Amino acid sequence: MECTPSFLIDSARSEGRSKLLEHESFCLCEHYGIPVPRYGVARSSEEAVRIAKKIGFPVVLKVISPDVVHKSDVGGVILDVRSPEEVREKYSALMRNVTLRAPGARVYGVLVQEMVPRGLEVIVGATRDPYFGPVVMFGLGGVFVEVLKDVSFRVAPLTPIDAGEMVREVKGYRLFEAFRGEAPRDRKAVEEIILRVSELIEDLDEVSEVDLNPVIVFEEGLGAKVADARFMLR
Amino acid sequence: MASGLYRLFHPRSIAVVGASRNPSKIGSIVLRNILSGGFAGRVYPVNPSADSIMGLEAYASLTSISGKVDVAVVAVPAERVLEVVEDAGRAGVEFLVVLSSGFKEVGNFELERQLVSAARRHGMRVLGPNIFGYVYTPSRLNASFGPSNVLPGNVAFVTQSGALGIALMGYSIVEKVGVSSIVSLGNKSDIDDADLLEFFAEDPHTKTVIAYIEGVENGRRFIDAASSFSSKKPLIVIKSGRTEAGAKAAASHTGSLSSGPLLWEGVLRQVGALQVKDVESAFDYAKLFASYSSPPGPRVLVITNGGGAGVQATDTLAENGVYLREPPSDYVEYLRSFLPSYASTRNPVDITGGASDEYYYLALKRALEHPEVDAVLVLYCQTLTTDPLKTAEAIVKAVLESGFRKPVVAGFVGSEESRRAVSFLVESGVPAYPTPERAASSLAALYRYARLREVVVKRLEYLALARREVEGKKLVTSF
Repeated sequence: MECTPSFLIDSARSEGRSKLLEHESFCLCEHYGIPVPRYGVARSSEEAVRIAKKIGFPVVLKVISPDVVHKSDVGGVILDVRSPEEVREKYSALMRNVTLRAPGARVYGVLVQEMVPRGLEVIVGATRDPYFGPVVMFGLGGVFVEVLKDVSFRVAPLTPIDAGEMVREVKGYRLFEAFRGEAPRDRKAVEEIILRVSELIEDLDEVSEVDLNPVIVFEEGLGAKVADARFMLR
Repeated sequence: MASGLYRLFHPRSIAVVGASRNPSKIGSIVLRNILSGGFAGRVYPVNPSADSIMGLEAYASLTSISGKVDVAVVAVPAERVLEVVEDAGRAGVEFLVVLSSGFKEVGNFELERQLVSAARRHGMRVLGPNIFGYVYTPSRLNASFGPSNVLPGNVAFVTQSGALGIALMGYSIVEKVGVSSIVSLGNKSDIDDADLLEFFAEDPHTKTVIAYIEGVENGRRFIDAASSFSSKKPLIVIKSGRTEAGAKAAASHTGSLSSGPLLWEGVLRQVGALQVKDVESAFDYAKLFASYSSPPGPRVLVITNGGGAGVQATDTLAENGVYLREPPSDYVEYLRSFLPSYASTRNPVDITGGASDEYYYLALKRALEHPEVDAVLVLYCQTLTTDPLKTAEAIVKAVLESGFRKPVVAGFVGSEESRRAVSFLVESGVPAYPTPERAASSLAALYRYARLREVVVKRLEYLALARREVEGKKLVTSF
């Protein structure tokens, strides 16, 4: 697979899809310098084992299908796979789950990805506002976004000043600071991702919505990584 | 650089289409306001069925006027507006101020589109339709059907809502907030907030703008104009529809969260505007910005005759990121030389409930002279033994003698007499309010603006630099 925005968008279009598949999303992120987990696409359990060995254990297996919207609901996601034997076993289990619970769904393969270590979960997104055009969103994950609506917005193009303000102005900002013996989080890495997303949504007219959710933020100096990415096309 | 709207605000001549001998017609009220306001340019009533109106020769059409007409105020029924536009275009009018309603606001999109395209064809700009007019005090021009006794000053007020706008014209008179301009934007078919911000940014008679905004059509242009405005002068925005978010369904996707209110909050921060929740705060802040707009240093001193008022002010300041420091020791020593022993010389300085006008004068004057004090908040709670007006006079005297170099803001709490003292202070150039909280949050707005301005200036510099880099690359490749 070629990892350029135009190739990814064209191939999705030619298949009538308005959403990029997971590996395509990671690939688009990489093109814009947004850090993603190490990953590979397997079409057999042996290939999955090879990829997993290259990535290093533990890994995550996810079904790649344009027909499955909520992968976990059909048993299409298996976390924390720890050995080659387990990869073989879980690969077949995953295929069985999907065939049983989503019969008829097209399956393009299985995404084998690095299991992202734990950290502070945040969301970086982008959308197109009818009046302001491309806008970028930042928020803390989970209840902060869903219940408290603790998010900040800026209109693209963003400057580093905007990205810094966006992160600092959410009420949950203090979770980035050192507390209860935990080290402070890598705020700069998140700001960098916000800026890259701004660049992406400005560049790519065809992208209508970006959801990097969650982005895992590590300790200061250790960066951040997108654990799940979703791109919608217009 | 002269703004494209210069002639709208400095017309040499103005015509009122729809003026009549019936004094209750909107066109007639506007004409009366123009005449009684003392506008120095030529004024032409236009009405095909009258020879003269209010002592002025009336014209059958704009084209029948021999002189040039810069601005035509249109107050005829919507269905007649298009013929007026053609007439105006042939007469060489530059600006159409369309008061008439019955356009987009009632679903009549097509008529509004025709209005704008006809005006464009003739090179005219349109203010409105569906507005109550506009006021510009430096030209002594009140082309509105709002109150006639507008107080001149340096606050420009731009409003999308007509009814609220007229009401606020009245409010500004009561609150003694002098205005340079009041502009009703209505449907914003052509001239919008961005155009006006461009004009007011350059206007020497305007120190601050209050904008009441429901929405904008061209968001990008608004961001550019507003950012550039707030890098020069404070922009206060009342954005309606703040609570829409509460009704939005819970969902974690960006699309569903980018509902108006949350996005607008971000936009207003991005452009360096002071977002206020209510009309009261908007005018409170504007009152202060009318006197002071450059950021003071961080050392705020509070002088009060009541502990409670001092604490309320301290809390309000702290909520806005302004923290009080201990007063300079030689200042404390000076206070000790005349204050009773039970007075508190920390910050807030409590000059006691029995504080005389003399105490206020001495404490304030020395504070204003002290190099380690940057701004002073003076609070007064009315007591049986003191006279609010005398206290206000003592404050004004100290401020006058100091040459208005440092921000002084007053909060006077009490009866009708205290209200009169507040008016006296405002008229003397000292921003004053009837509660310690309103005084404190207005002073804090000066600091908030200073921070916002710093961010917006940095942002604009960054964008300009990025643009130059892109252009530089283009040059290199084309070479």
